Amino acid sequence: MSVVNSLALLGFFKYGGFVVENVNQVLSSVGMSIRFAEPDIFLPVGLSFYIFKSIGYVADCYRGEVERERNFIRHAVFVSFFPILLAGPIERAKNLLGQLRQPGRISAQDAAEGFSLFVVGLFKKLALADMLAVYVSKIYGEPGEYQSAALVLATFAFGWQLYFDFSGYTDMARGLGRMMGFRIMLNFNNPYLADGLGDFWNRWHISLSSWFRDYLYIPLGGNRRGRFNTYRNVFITMLLMGLWHGAAWTFVIWGGIHALGRCLTRDLESSSFYKEKVPKFVKQLSVFLFVTFAWIFFRAESLSDASVIISGIFSGGLTGAGFPLLFVAMIFLVWLYQFIYESRFRRLLEFSFVRIFSFVFMILYLVIFVSSVGESFIYFEF
Amino acid sequence: MPRDDITRDKNEGGGAIVFSSNEMRLNFREWLIAFGVLAVLIYLLGFIRVRVEEFEVGKDYRLAYKLSEDYWLFKRYCESVCAEGKSLVIGDSVVWGQYVEKGQTLSHYLNELSGEQRFANMGVDGLHPVAMFGLLKYYGGDISGRDVLIHFNLLWLSSSKYDLQTEKEFSFNHPKLVPQLVPEIASYKAGLSSRIGIIVERNLPFLGWVKHVNLVCFADEERGVTDFCGWVMAHPYGNPFGDIAGKLQSLSENRPVRKREERARGERKYDLPWVDLERSVQWRYFKRSVELLRQRGNRVFVVVGPFNEHILEEESLERYNEIKVGIENWLVENRVDCYIPLPLAEGYYADASHPVGEGYALLAEQILEDGLWSDSEGN
Repeated sequence: MSVVNSLALLGFFKYGGFVVENVNQVLSSVGMSIRFAEPDIFLPVGLSFYIFKSIGYVADCYRGEVERERNFIRHAVFVSFFPILLAGPIERAKNLLGQLRQPGRISAQDAAEGFSLFVVGLFKKLALADMLAVYVSKIYGEPGEYQSAALVLATFAFGWQLYFDFSGYTDMARGLGRMMGFRIMLNFNNPYLADGLGDFWNRWHISLSSWFRDYLYIPLGGNRRGRFNTYRNVFITMLLMGLWHGAAWTFVIWGGIHALGRCLTRDLESSSFYKEKVPKFVKQLSVFLFVTFAWIFFRAESLSDASVIISGIFSGGLTGAGFPLLFVAMIFLVWLYQFIYESRFRRLLEFSFVRIFSFVFMILYLVIFVSSVGESFIYFEF
Repeated sequence: MPRDDITRDKNEGGGAIVFSSNEMRLNFREWLIAFGVLAVLIYLLGFIRVRVEEFEVGKDYRLAYKLSEDYWLFKRYCESVCAEGKSLVIGDSVVWGQYVEKGQTLSHYLNELSGEQRFANMGVDGLHPVAMFGLLKYYGGDISGRDVLIHFNLLWLSSSKYDLQTEKEFSFNHPKLVPQLVPEIASYKAGLSSRIGIIVERNLPFLGWVKHVNLVCFADEERGVTDFCGWVMAHPYGNPFGDIAGKLQSLSENRPVRKREERARGERKYDLPWVDLERSVQWRYFKRSVELLRQRGNRVFVVVGPFNEHILEEESLERYNEIKVGIENWLVENRVDCYIPLPLAEGYYADASHPVGEGYALLAEQILEDGLWSDSEGN
């Protein structure tokens, strides 16, 4: 009952207009003159996030994994914990509710490390995501006006913009939580270094992908009932994950592309040939290219825009790109950092002076070069 | 699930919560070091910038129009002018010379007629008296023990809007110079975070320097560029840090002179809704500016007007004259040396309050002939 109630709220506010619009289109295509009025509803901010958090809590209680919370105030704080209210991570009751029940003392280490997370998030958002957003918005705003090079670069830029934007928000949210003595789950783990699509979803928006895995994919049967049922479950999960991001066919197709990719590569990724023979860099590049292609549907305003962008990409033409070299350098630096972090040279990044210098650089860059007017977070829309 | 090799939260004893997917974390002691390094770098950057950037205050220098809100540069200009022992001419665009070349301003003619280069044009476009008080208070600390000619433009009293009395928000010049918390300015509606940001900026000169760098190096009105990001987009393959040294000097006169306005001819009369002098916000702050300058040991000389009286309807002119008398009375009562110029002929105005070149020449002549300025110097 509680799950239905939560989903009804989500369906009404988020998908009401989408359903009515599509019903009207179907009716009109079969020649019926009936038209339902499209509801003019404001979407409550963060709705998708706290509804999923509530459903997760109910499911965990039902399974007996979490003790039912009888204190209404504590439960309300869990659902509406302000740092993660608007765009996640979609925390689990097991983690956050437990901390709310037994809040620890805030130590100097909490404050220092929380502040570290916050500064990293701020840098990702203001110095990287918002800069890339200017370029992406210019090209994706009028995709028909640009040639192949510009569209390709804008698509790559959007992939990084989305990562910096969302993971930046998450870092800031986790940093704020940490400064208050709460430890919030990791949401991004260097996703563009994934060497398989399965690996990508273990690294990208971890709180959402693990939510779908635990509360939908596994209850549907997961991969335990044969190949067909596994593929069916993957498709259902990924399509709904796409729809979770927004009431539009572009998101459904984005989910569908990932589902298709996951089904096609699932066996390959588990083969010894792929694991041992294919160079890691090739695997990482392939995943990055696939994921970036799928972002076109995520970012495009409509299906027609997406088709314009894809046809534009393959039409050739190198003029009008004008992608700033500074953006290339910044993205390369981030990629290099993550690459070293996951390599055997990781100890280089642990040196105190490297970490201090990195923070000094980030703070100086933010103070000197970043305008005070920024873009809103992309995931606030969801 | 998160991989096992990513950094574990040490507080959890290698337990459940992963701290991050990178090594970007500092402990309390490391943050102290980082802030120490930042403080040193910030000091060095400002120090280096002042030495690298060419800033020559030549004959008839005035702040570049584009840098009207560059208060860090104004402070630097003040330091330079005061170090040379010059007299300062402070005011809004009337002093700056909105409609004239830099060789036709009030300070130019004062220099020419007095036969020595001793008057510095400290005019700032749009500097209404409330902003002027803020500018002098926060950025004009070097102005002490100097001769200061301060101009009062009566245009700021010509409506409750210009006097910042209206409750309805409107965009006025130099919002960063008006009082942010108390006393409240009715027309100023910025949010609390903006106001706190402005207070912080006033008290951290480095942030003023940052604004200066952005205005000088990256802002480009013609391309609609206002910040670093805009500059990078407009010059995708350019070096944002190139030619920093020479940019300030190239900006100093990069502005076409505005043409004289038709309404200055006085063919059409206006009934300006003058505000009461006693209730005027702008007048109150002008008086505070005078007091502040005197407290700092400056010899203050006030010039009220001129104003293009030819465009005023009869009743409006009467109100204007009453205000002028009220201003003069306060200045006399408080023993502030002042000069209220005789009305200039219609042809000497470019608009309601800005003279044309000949108007400035006449005004400078009147000020010097009046004798009070010389007396105020104790000569």
